[in-house]
Amino acid sequence: MTDILRLSLPLSVWIAAFSAVYGLEGIVCSDHWAAAGLSLGQGRAALLVAWAAAIAVQVVLLAGLRMPRFASSLPGVQRIAAILAAVALVATVWSLLPVAATSLCL
Amino acid sequence: MTDKPRLTALRLHKALYPIWRNDPGWKGVLTTVNNNTIGTMFILGAAGMFLAGGILAMLIRAQLASPRSAFMGPEVYNQIFTMHGTIMMFLFAIPFFEALTVFLLPAMLGTRDLAFPRLGAYGFWCYMIGATIMIVALLAGVAPDGGWFMYPPLSSSAHSPGINTDIWLLGISFIEISAIGAAVEVVVTVLRYRAVGMTLDRLPIFAWYMLVVAVMILTAFPPMILGSLILELERAFDMPFFQAEHGGDSLLWQHLFWLFGHPEVYIIFLPAAGVISAILPVMARTTLLGYGWVVAAAISLAVLSFGLWVHHMFTTGIPHMGLAFFSAVSTLVAVPTGVQIFAWIGTLWKGRPRMHLPMLWIMGFFVTFVMGGLTGVMVAMVPFDWQAHDTYFVVAHLHYVLIGGYVFPMIAGIYYWLPVLTGRKRFFRMGEVAFWLVMAGFHGTFLLLHWAGLLGMRRRVDSIEAGSGWEGINLLASVSGFVLAIGFGLVVLDVAANALVAVRGRRNPWNAGTLEWATPIPSPAYNVASIPVVDSRYPLHDNPGLPVQIARGEGFLGHPTRNRRETLAVSVSGARPDFIAVMPRNSIVPFAMAVVTSVMFMAPVWKGWWLMFASAGGVAMLAMVWAWAGGSRHDEGLLDAGRGVTLPPHTEISHPPGWWGSLFLLLADAVLFGSLLFGYAFLWTVAPNWPPPAILEPGTGGPALAAGGAVLACGGIRGADQAIRRGRAPWPGLVASLAGLAALGGAAWTVFGGTTHDAHAYDATLWVIAGYAVFHAGVAGLMALFLMARIRAGFISARRCGDARVVRLWIDYAALTAALGLGAAWLPGWLA
Repeated sequence: MTDILRLSLPLSVWIAAFSAVYGLEGIVCSDHWAAAGLSLGQGRAALLVAWAAAIAVQVVLLAGLRMPRFASSLPGVQRIAAILAAVALVATVWSLLPVAATSLCL
Repeated sequence: MTDKPRLTALRLHKALYPIWRNDPGWKGVLTTVNNNTIGTMFILGAAGMFLAGGILAMLIRAQLASPRSAFMGPEVYNQIFTMHGTIMMFLFAIPFFEALTVFLLPAMLGTRDLAFPRLGAYGFWCYMIGATIMIVALLAGVAPDGGWFMYPPLSSSAHSPGINTDIWLLGISFIEISAIGAAVEVVVTVLRYRAVGMTLDRLPIFAWYMLVVAVMILTAFPPMILGSLILELERAFDMPFFQAEHGGDSLLWQHLFWLFGHPEVYIIFLPAAGVISAILPVMARTTLLGYGWVVAAAISLAVLSFGLWVHHMFTTGIPHMGLAFFSAVSTLVAVPTGVQIFAWIGTLWKGRPRMHLPMLWIMGFFVTFVMGGLTGVMVAMVPFDWQAHDTYFVVAHLHYVLIGGYVFPMIAGIYYWLPVLTGRKRFFRMGEVAFWLVMAGFHGTFLLLHWAGLLGMRRRVDSIEAGSGWEGINLLASVSGFVLAIGFGLVVLDVAANALVAVRGRRNPWNAGTLEWATPIPSPAYNVASIPVVDSRYPLHDNPGLPVQIARGEGFLGHPTRNRRETLAVSVSGARPDFIAVMPRNSIVPFAMAVVTSVMFMAPVWKGWWLMFASAGGVAMLAMVWAWAGGSRHDEGLLDAGRGVTLPPHTEISHPPGWWGSLFLLLADAVLFGSLLFGYAFLWTVAPNWPPPAILEPGTGGPALAAGGAVLACGGIRGADQAIRRGRAPWPGLVASLAGLAALGGAAWTVFGGTTHDAHAYDATLWVIAGYAVFHAGVAGLMALFLMARIRAGFISARRCGDARVVRLWIDYAALTAALGLGAAWLPGWLA
């Protein structure tokens, strides 16, 4: 099962981060955010921090999966795990890029 | 082959056949649990549904062939297009690839059956009964009529009175048991039941795809099951989940539906991609280019597809940033799709392709799917989608993807594996004519309909007006549609003729390298006479003598001296021999349970609540009969597995197959629970008329019961498990665990007491959360009682402790979800 974990972890972390940031955007744009005395600027900052944290986690996963200590004994699985970790990193950067590039609650 | 090995193989066949065969006559149809028989019946059932869905498509095209058509009225038309979509998506597309998988997977992996044969039979009968109910509803004029995605408020009781919508919500949920069951089977089979030496990086590519798809089914279907459940609760008990005036939000349905619906597209496409990845290298007389990249692409596509659901909701007023997230992922999925396409083109490039009939269909796939993929990228662009949404452009796009991307490869697969399925080689040559008719008819229909959409023709309109500019397009599309239907009819005729009356074929006519071609054709009931040892992805290429070695019993379990159905389980990654799995014999229980389950699901359509509860009790009873039949009352110790290896039976390992099956079933359950919490958070954050007028007061009793119950339930079962393994009395632990579960149920009950189910969406959601906790505590409690009975009957010992591990898993899950769910229910009260 460890190999299955190696293969599934980075993209699972991506979908969790993606859903969390989408949820955070929903909260920032809801009445609750303003009611708590927070501004949209602070909302944007929170989203940027969440995006940066998601990227950092993916970088750590990519680096970790390449370390001999966490590597698979099957070369084929090791290669696929490395590809998937890279895919998850690219997906995190690309899919959450809108937090820096688009209007927030329009 | 010399005479001696042939005799050895024949003797082994004569020994294995009586053990694995079906019961004779009609009884055999109802009691079979064999993957080949279930797979064949499943294929025939799903093909029948394709024909039914096709007939409805022709009725649609007949209606739209001329302006202001009087062929049928809007009431009938609504049922026809709803049932066309429902049948094609739920009763044909998913069941058909599941059927093919059920048939092929054991032989392909070099094992004797799927991990849970009775679950396969149960799933099949649920599917057949559910499909029959849907068809009967159509013939009776009470079929669903709200479109195949059943958006509220159109599907709410105010706007859709009558039983049509209930039949959809309950019927489809019932049929999904079949998909979930098959998914659990496929995951456990691929992970644990393989040839020795078939490591994860040597898995047949089709098996990789099906593993990915099965996990997708387990994670994509639960949101829609939850959506169906709460929409039915709204219709039956006025629990206002989707009514804005009471704090509900119809967009919640869209989120839950498309959380399923978009991955569904890839659940349908990926098996087809698996078929192509399996067939293409054989047709090109080479190996698959970039195996690792293709596996990575399949996994990437599967996970990325869960970040796409909102692209079906671009016109619902979601803020731009939210739209941009989903637009970005929608473009990203084109990359792994492209990787697969390029790997296939590269495979053709490095090989020497032969244009046999399966290859012809794959060529048809390439042309059609690439076109459909490109229009997919177009609708992924938000501004374009705002214009094309709910027009015939989208209808045309989805048919390009689903027919081109799924049906064509599946037909290629049927022709390719026809010798394994039927034992015959293709003799009649209608297939080529059928292919060209289908290609001409398909593009004549759906290429044109893109233009109709761009000219503003909305989907689901029941008639078109003269002078709208759509008349010519629709007439041509209808004529082409009938050509398409004739083409598919010829395919069915050709396959049937070749299956029934063509001459017997020889083993492995394509010179393929994977193990499904190592068996005699058609595949015998036991699939492989012995479990082979392999050391590459294409074992038949590396060792052409392997089929003979398997037939002579030179693999594992080649001497069936114990006169029972046995196969080998291996370690997940390294495929080393792990234990001997004893498979169940033929049984009527799966069929009986499917019948009783159908009553449980359909009784609420006519408000038959007592009948529903009675049949739920019946299902629980039959489940216990089912589980009681397994296991052993004495320790067997290590058994001879052949090749000088001794292994324990599955009853004497700590994590038996039932534990693995439970683990993946609970994964699906956890996704449903997560979707429920998502719905709660969504309503609280986005829906109008929140916060609710009254918040539940947690008090101290309920939380104390929940905390104490969770600790007692988990601690008790751990104590019992430890006691069993040390040969001591497990009763104190089991009683404590039962008390803990009762406390959890009691804690959940306090939520019912503090809220009114139909007052507000908040109250309704809390009722579902509490109901979830009560249900799971009840199931876990029943399992603990069942374990007690098994201990008393002598099925459990220090060696045979697997049952306790299964129960422990369920109790842990019940306690964890109850604590989380009830905590979420009480949280607003604590914060207030």
